[in-house]
Amino acid sequence: MTGISAIGVHLPRARLERSAIAAAMGWLTPDLPDQGRRTLAFWDEDSTTMGVAAARVALAQQDRAAFGSLDFCTLTPPFAERQNASILHAALGLPASCVTQESGTTQRAALIALHRLMEAGGRGLLVAADRPVNAPGSLAETRVGDGAAAAVAGPDDPCLGYLGGATRTDAIVDRYRAPGAQFATEGEERWLRDVGWQGIVGATIAEALGNSRTDPDAVDHLVLASTLPRLAQRVAREAGLGKARLADDLGGEIGETGTAHALMMLAAHMPKIAPGDTVLLAGFGQGATALVFRATEAISGLDTGFETAHAAGLSETCYTKLPVFSGLLPWDQGPRGRAPVMDALATAQRYAPALLSFTGGKCRETGAVQFPPARLSANPQAPLRDTQEPWPMADLGGTVTSRTADNLAFSRNPPSVYGLVDIAGGGRLMMDFTDPDAATLRIGDPVRFVFRVKDIDSATGFRRYFWKAVTAQTAPVQERQEARDAEWA
Amino acid sequence: MPSGLKDKVAILGMGCSRFGERWDVGPEELMVEAYSEALSTAGIDPTEIDAAWYSSHYDDIGAGKAGTPMAQALRLPDIGVTRVENFCAGGTEAFRGAVMAVASGAADIALAVGVEKLKDTGFPGLPTAHRGSFVPMYMPTHTNPGNFSQLATAYGAAHSIPERDLKRAMAHTSVKSHANAVDNPRAHLRKEITLDAVLSAPIVAEPLGLFDCCPVSDGAACAIVTTPEIARARAASTLILVKAVQVVTSNGWELQQQGWSGAYVHTARIAAERAYREAGVTDPAGQISFAELHDCFSITEIVTLEDIGIAPPGTAWSAMLDGQFDRDGRFPVQVDGGLKCFGHPVGASGLRMLFEGWLQLTGQAEDRQLPDPSLVLTHNLGGAPAQNTCSIALIGAEGA
Repeated sequence: MTGISAIGVHLPRARLERSAIAAAMGWLTPDLPDQGRRTLAFWDEDSTTMGVAAARVALAQQDRAAFGSLDFCTLTPPFAERQNASILHAALGLPASCVTQESGTTQRAALIALHRLMEAGGRGLLVAADRPVNAPGSLAETRVGDGAAAAVAGPDDPCLGYLGGATRTDAIVDRYRAPGAQFATEGEERWLRDVGWQGIVGATIAEALGNSRTDPDAVDHLVLASTLPRLAQRVAREAGLGKARLADDLGGEIGETGTAHALMMLAAHMPKIAPGDTVLLAGFGQGATALVFRATEAISGLDTGFETAHAAGLSETCYTKLPVFSGLLPWDQGPRGRAPVMDALATAQRYAPALLSFTGGKCRETGAVQFPPARLSANPQAPLRDTQEPWPMADLGGTVTSRTADNLAFSRNPPSVYGLVDIAGGGRLMMDFTDPDAATLRIGDPVRFVFRVKDIDSATGFRRYFWKAVTAQTAPVQERQEARDAEWA
Repeated sequence: MPSGLKDKVAILGMGCSRFGERWDVGPEELMVEAYSEALSTAGIDPTEIDAAWYSSHYDDIGAGKAGTPMAQALRLPDIGVTRVENFCAGGTEAFRGAVMAVASGAADIALAVGVEKLKDTGFPGLPTAHRGSFVPMYMPTHTNPGNFSQLATAYGAAHSIPERDLKRAMAHTSVKSHANAVDNPRAHLRKEITLDAVLSAPIVAEPLGLFDCCPVSDGAACAIVTTPEIARARAASTLILVKAVQVVTSNGWELQQQGWSGAYVHTARIAAERAYREAGVTDPAGQISFAELHDCFSITEIVTLEDIGIAPPGTAWSAMLDGQFDRDGRFPVQVDGGLKCFGHPVGASGLRMLFEGWLQLTGQAEDRQLPDPSLVLTHNLGGAPAQNTCSIALIGAEGA
């Protein structure tokens, strides 16, 4: 049976308090909400890196060699030209034969891709990620959040078996953004609610229920990808979904995460879905897509990473990080920020496995691990030639051996925190530590590795990616901060 | 085992410019300043120079690539000028080239000049060094304070030194060097500072504060070397001989394998051991009169004192606090102010240290003259603790 066999999500650690947005911009837009918070991508997170993070969760139990396709959906692609999906493909170590495709231009992109995957029946990976950029002080800025979700589609052991679905295309302009425009313009909310959601989505739901031979009363869960207030109740009532539980829209603590939001809501709702339950997933954007699934026994053990990511949030009360991180607010980068980021495309291509999938070398004679791999091994007593086998390190994690918090080095979130990390099982390298709590890392702390933006060239916009270390500790950051303060006292 | 350089080469003369923010001159004038003094103290005519070595680190903001900037600035007599660049060890590397030329018989008289002009581009601190196209794709955008602050945290952790105590030891290191430089008219910073001022200074890279870091200076230094026979014939009053010059460069072990603790400098230990063997030194603390160490950061000086065998591992910080490395302590270091106060024009620093050694050994150090020094150690560390070039030189009087 075709279906979804795994889902993974990623939420940036920082949670920007809406009260902070209101405090900074409320003098301009007096009706800004001040309750709750929204996710805020760190400076080195973009749709590609967040997509990689979500996909890594989804792929945790999967054989990556078996994937025939990767669909990447985003409204906020880091590169307009250069297939971002190919970067995800490399970072995830998917086989060269895996076909990559990228789509966007509508919030519904991921549901369209999911529908096609379900109908096609092949084994594919779907990744959706967004880092929406809205005008400072706009309501949209407070409503959205940054995040990513990924789903593994295929015929093997689905946790959500596909029963059927429908897609309707409609030229209705719910949103638009011209090339080069910074911000999208959205249609009037009440019109979209009545004509778009209740009208177009409602009709599509009815069609999907018909296609899947599902009685409206049999739907146990409705996941409607929108944060419009009380919208799901209206749509459920109109569609006759008498007993459907409505998935939390995540508007309060996370925000609407663009193309990722349908899968994000589904992931968050997953613990409430029992084997045998019927799940309806629907979204809107120049038409609508509605998909019907039945949960299997496999759903019981599924970890989407949502709870962990949700709990790992760090409160952020500095509003200006939002416009600075998203490039809306020019700031003084100093002479160190003026250094060009050399693209050196031939170098990057030659070392792509090391740079993008964090593959080191392991000496087949001595077992010694090193990064980067090289013709001569790094054992100074007996360097061996051409004995390096590829050694994927992304999932190994490591330990901090030395660290600094450097106020002099250029950083988009000073201080720049970096140090030596000893890789589990051998080898070490000097690497950046990242996320808002990077400076709390101390010698001996365990870290795991994440794929992030390494540098951005301010003049050309070129960005390069590499892996960085983040804390692998589960203790809340507050406790770690207190422990550190005690150590220094 | 090679027989080494001991007593095969003599220092005929040296020169050193005033260090500092030399808005008044460019790299050419700095070189002329040091070279003119060296010619004068050596008592030679430029036409007697057979070969020259030239050290400059930043070719993009300094004097330029290759040997031509120096050959032209000094109007050298149609001889070969070899430019060397080995991070902060470049000055000693230039000296090594000249010494090897004389020791081999390829040259009777050889010249070594180091120069750096850092203050003309408005860049605060040192610009990031270029490292090819691949390394910046994975290596953090680091700075030298960031690199050496890791030495401090690892050293503190390895020896369970309370943060506060290590901060005080590092602070004393700088207070001592500032005090030493007051008597040095060529030094960049000639002002005493207090321990409290150091401890309350802004943090550059945890735990290094502003006064834990050496300044960025303009300057040049110069050595003229020859054979002991020629030096004797020139009636040099005190014969100053090269006892050892060693350079050790990281091969990636510290940075890529897990054996190194991060709490010491691997290359420094090897360079010191080889230099002592070359010079026949068996009791460094007893035989060496004083040292000019590469105190780019206060912590570097503390850790180096252990790496070169002057203090047992884990003890230099407390010995520093006890004043053992002050000018009147048991083993004076940075008697001229060191990098911290004499200044740090990168490509010149190794030769500047040798200049102070030569001044002291020949009794010319005036107000800061130490009583009867006979053997001097100079040490440079170019790069970061995890990946570097370390040079150690020993010079001394005949018989030392």
